[in-house]
Amino acid sequence: MTAPLLSLRDLRTEYRTDRGTVQAVRGVDLTLYRGEILGLVGESGSGKSVTCMSILKLLKRGGHITSGSADYDGTDLLRLSEGQLSRVRGDKIGVVFQDPMSALNPTMTVGRQVEEVLLQHRKISKKDARARAIELFKLVRIPSAETRIDNYPHEFSGGMRQRVMIAIALACDPDLLIADEPTTALDVTIQRQILALLKELRDRLGMAIILVTHDLGVIAETADRVMVLYGGQIMEEARVADLFEAPQHPYTRGLLAAIPDPRQSGGALTPVPGSPPDMRNPPSGCPFAPRCPKAMAICLTPPDLYGAGDALHLRPAQRTRCWLADPAVPAELMEAT
Amino acid sequence: MNSASRMPLAWLAQRVLMMLVTLLAVITLTFALMHAVPGGPFVSEKMLAPEIEAALNAKFGLDQPVWRQYLSYLWGVVQFDLGPSFKYPGVSVNSMIAEGLAVTAQTGLLAIICVVALGVPMGIVAALNRGRWPDTLAMFVASLGIAVPSYVIATVSLYVFALRLGWTPAFGLDDWRGYILPVFALSGFWMSFVARLTRSSLLETMGQDYIMTARAKGLPAHTVMLRHGLRNSMIPVVTVLGPVVANLLTGSFVIEQIFALPGIGRHFVLSITNRDYTAIMGITIFYAAFLMLMILIVDLLYLWLDPRISYGDRK
Ligand SMILES: Nc1ncnc2c1ncn2[C@@H]1O[C@H](COP(=O)(O)OP(=O)(O)O)[C@@H](O)[C@H]1O
Ligand code: SF4
Ligand SMILES: [Mg+2]
Repeated sequence: MTAPLLSLRDLRTEYRTDRGTVQAVRGVDLTLYRGEILGLVGESGSGKSVTCMSILKLLKRGGHITSGSADYDGTDLLRLSEGQLSRVRGDKIGVVFQDPMSALNPTMTVGRQVEEVLLQHRKISKKDARARAIELFKLVRIPSAETRIDNYPHEFSGGMRQRVMIAIALACDPDLLIADEPTTALDVTIQRQILALLKELRDRLGMAIILVTHDLGVIAETADRVMVLYGGQIMEEARVADLFEAPQHPYTRGLLAAIPDPRQSGGALTPVPGSPPDMRNPPSGCPFAPRCPKAMAICLTPPDLYGAGDALHLRPAQRTRCWLADPAVPAELMEAT
Repeated sequence: MNSASRMPLAWLAQRVLMMLVTLLAVITLTFALMHAVPGGPFVSEKMLAPEIEAALNAKFGLDQPVWRQYLSYLWGVVQFDLGPSFKYPGVSVNSMIAEGLAVTAQTGLLAIICVVALGVPMGIVAALNRGRWPDTLAMFVASLGIAVPSYVIATVSLYVFALRLGWTPAFGLDDWRGYILPVFALSGFWMSFVARLTRSSLLETMGQDYIMTARAKGLPAHTVMLRHGLRNSMIPVVTVLGPVVANLLTGSFVIEQIFALPGIGRHFVLSITNRDYTAIMGITIFYAAFLMLMILIVDLLYLWLDPRISYGDRK
């Protein structure tokens, strides 16, 4: 069994604001293997962005990682200083953000924004950096790369800007690409193209991808494995086929039931009745309990992630954070409240 | 994309034309006002003999119909001739402005340099140390600079440094030390203003998504701030700098009065008390033209700072 590329253990991240402390991530475990696309899915506010940005400590003001470890290639990223982390960011791990309209610096040519990351991490001349930037533009299929490189972001469409972002993220051949809702801001056709591009680049370059989305259709089309987040915790974790075939968690079931054809993009996660918990004051038991049709008395106690290891596939098997999945729960506790 | 294609000549021509139209309006308005105020230019404390007054009127063309006076004045302005002073025989308004400007420009330029070279870094240091003592200190000083009027700064510093300590001369610019206090008093407010603006604009810019991108690229914190934050945060600062430059280069009567500097601000107020009509008109027109020129320069600076701006097509 190969060692994982990244293993995140018990990650807890909070945001301290004027109006209280938001417990954005509450003990997330995540294991990622080389070359795999792991989908992170969940409603808005479930903690997807904070989880994946915590890996590189790319938190906005007020954000604090209070516990956990992020073992990447033998080092715990969460213990690195800012200076040490900056050698990982952009070099070993690339990031693509949600909104390509605002994620590029409006006053710098796109070429310079790509060259900059190369010059930061590689000992190369400006001329070579430029040549490599053109090469990267071709890789992400930006037409007329040689001339477009001298343009400013506002001279590109949203889809093309996202390609520029991907070129920046891939510039130093990272082993891991974190893509936080890379297609949410784009229209459906462009979304398909970008997802296809990411998949193709994974096949060609072999990097692993953490793909954040609130769209189950995107997961179905792109990911190998998926983690469903809710209230800053993992509700269910499975291979994509398994999740769609046999969802275990009531939340996942609700999501899937509400979507006519989950294998189509556009299956945005809104239809489960009720609204997500206030993360300044999350429920003490199962976070989904207030919305769960199966909620029981025991659900006021926090459930664990249940599920046996999968001996055949040597990969983490389907795991579910729900009392219903715990084989040890006595029948008398399973009464509806 | 180069700057030239974002600033077509047609736009520049239109801009200059608009400036000329505005200037014409300013000339017309000041001319009309000067003729509307009660009492002729020569009515002062002592009465003039009627024949002398008539001779003076003839000399300055005041016996002509108003429209002819207006046209001949306009013709003068077109030739950059603002006419003779009403008050001082044989002195032209042009030479009054030139003489005053020579003094004002020296202190004004130094003040502008202080505003930019001290105000902007002060704001950057404050933003870099947000919430820590350098920030608190810089913002405390800046609040003082904004709250305390320049004449108070001038008077107090004059009293302390010139009269009590004797470190600087009390008036005049004969010694380099003579510049210190006037420049300090002139720039205090704007320096503080620019420091606060730089700080808040930089902090705002640092919250933008592309700053997170820059961090995700592995750039060191200072590179993120200076390369990606600063340029974008300078756009509002440049906006205020245009009028600030115009303001400082056209002088401050109060400061020039306190330090006994024969600058243009002092000339302007003196010409009002003297009812030096042509001087008032001339200096006003000069002020207006200068301000418009500064605003044009600011617009050109925008072009350089922000590649999204294009002056060609109005959509
Ligand atoms: N900068 C921030 N300041 C305060 N709270 C934040 C900030 N960013 C995220 N949060 C909070 O953290 C929680 C998780 O947010 P996030 O990870 O962005 O959700 P998602 O990406 O799944 O939509 C939410 O409750 C959100 O309000
Ligand atoms: S633990 Fe209870 S409330 Fe939570 S999902 Fe399972 S059944 Fe529903
Ligand atoms: Mg998000």
